[in-house]
Amino acid sequence: MSNLKEIKRKIKSVENTKKTTRAMKLVSTAKLNRAKLAAQQSRVYADKINEVLSEIAYKINQYKIGGIESRFFDEISAPEKVDIVFVTADKGLCGGFNIQTIKAVSKLMEEYKDKKVKVRLRGVGKKGMAFFKFQDIELHSEYAGVSSAPTYEKAQEIISEAIDDFTAGVTDKVILVHNGYKNMIAQELKINSIVPVSPPVDFESNSESLMELEPEEDETILESLMKKYFEYNMYYSLIDSLAAEHSARMQAMENATNNATDRVNLLTLAYNKARQESITTELIEIISGVESMK
Amino acid sequence: MDTLKLEIVTPEGQIFSNDVKDVTLPGSEGEFGVYPGHASLVSLLQAGVIDIELGDGKHEIVAINWGHAKVDENSVTVLADGAVSVGGNSEGEIARSLENAQKLIESMSDSDVAIATATAKIESIAKSGR
Repeated sequence: MSNLKEIKRKIKSVENTKKTTRAMKLVSTAKLNRAKLAAQQSRVYADKINEVLSEIAYKINQYKIGGIESRFFDEISAPEKVDIVFVTADKGLCGGFNIQTIKAVSKLMEEYKDKKVKVRLRGVGKKGMAFFKFQDIELHSEYAGVSSAPTYEKAQEIISEAIDDFTAGVTDKVILVHNGYKNMIAQELKINSIVPVSPPVDFESNSESLMELEPEEDETILESLMKKYFEYNMYYSLIDSLAAEHSARMQAMENATNNATDRVNLLTLAYNKARQESITTELIEIISGVESMK
Repeated sequence: MDTLKLEIVTPEGQIFSNDVKDVTLPGSEGEFGVYPGHASLVSLLQAGVIDIELGDGKHEIVAINWGHAKVDENSVTVLADGAVSVGGNSEGEIARSLENAQKLIESMSDSDVAIATATAKIESIAKSGR
């Protein structure tokens, strides 16, 4: 009899888990729709600003326009110090979402280590921070609590430190790593070297004329454009990552719910078997008792 | 007839994307007009209005608060922080978008002259019934 009770308790517990995972899935679905919309809307702007910067980088390299901050555009063949900014979630229960980013960052670090390049990490999101801390890898700076509610101001704050170091010559390259949203069921890892800005390999400018800058006496225009570009890329990474996180969690919870259903079915079967067994045993006992009294 | 491909984007999404005849932009060094075949240029924009002339001669107005414009021979890309398209199908709609546009410009620009110029421009265009 104790066996029966135990199975019954297990069924109850799995059913409760199932309720939780289903609720989490619904929450993620709702949040995903919002995050997806935000990511899609700003994608246009992110694409455009990247396009404009690529064009400027292309022209500057093509015509060697002097006098402007060329450090932003000169691709250094052998960087000595690299900053990696990575974005993970603050929370788990979203399948392989965080691990994918962490793995990519670790791989990048290995690659740079082989080339004797110093790497500094700037981590966004508790999960990634916890992982590297456990591995005894030092994080240069940490930002928790940003991933679940990204704002433009927070993105500004995160990226400005990295860019200040780059401008001051402390680092030679800044790389942004995040797991981005691809579609409802898939995420896509994105590794983006934001400075130095280099046009894509197959970049083709549709205009061959020399580019003029206005106002041209100072560098404010390039500076402000670059600032916008960094901040926006960071911001986009954050919201794209959030959308991906929710889609990953939605899927993980869907799987968990399905697993719970399977588990309940198995347990119910075991329960019925055990019940029948006990009935049979009881019957045998009664019959043999009656037989012996004859 | 030559046309320019004009795109206006903000962090909130795309405001305008179409082929146009010419466009007047509020550059930080002064207003400038762009026709097809304009030399490559990257310019800072200040709060003001973008006056767009469409292929059929109609005008469209977009108010922006701050941004950058990238111009080349056959396209213009405007990256603005905030933008409001002025217009609509009914008078109420037009009035509302006008109000939004003025608020946007006033919130960003600290120069009274710029606000006055932009406001006057928006009003004159709104009155002429486009």
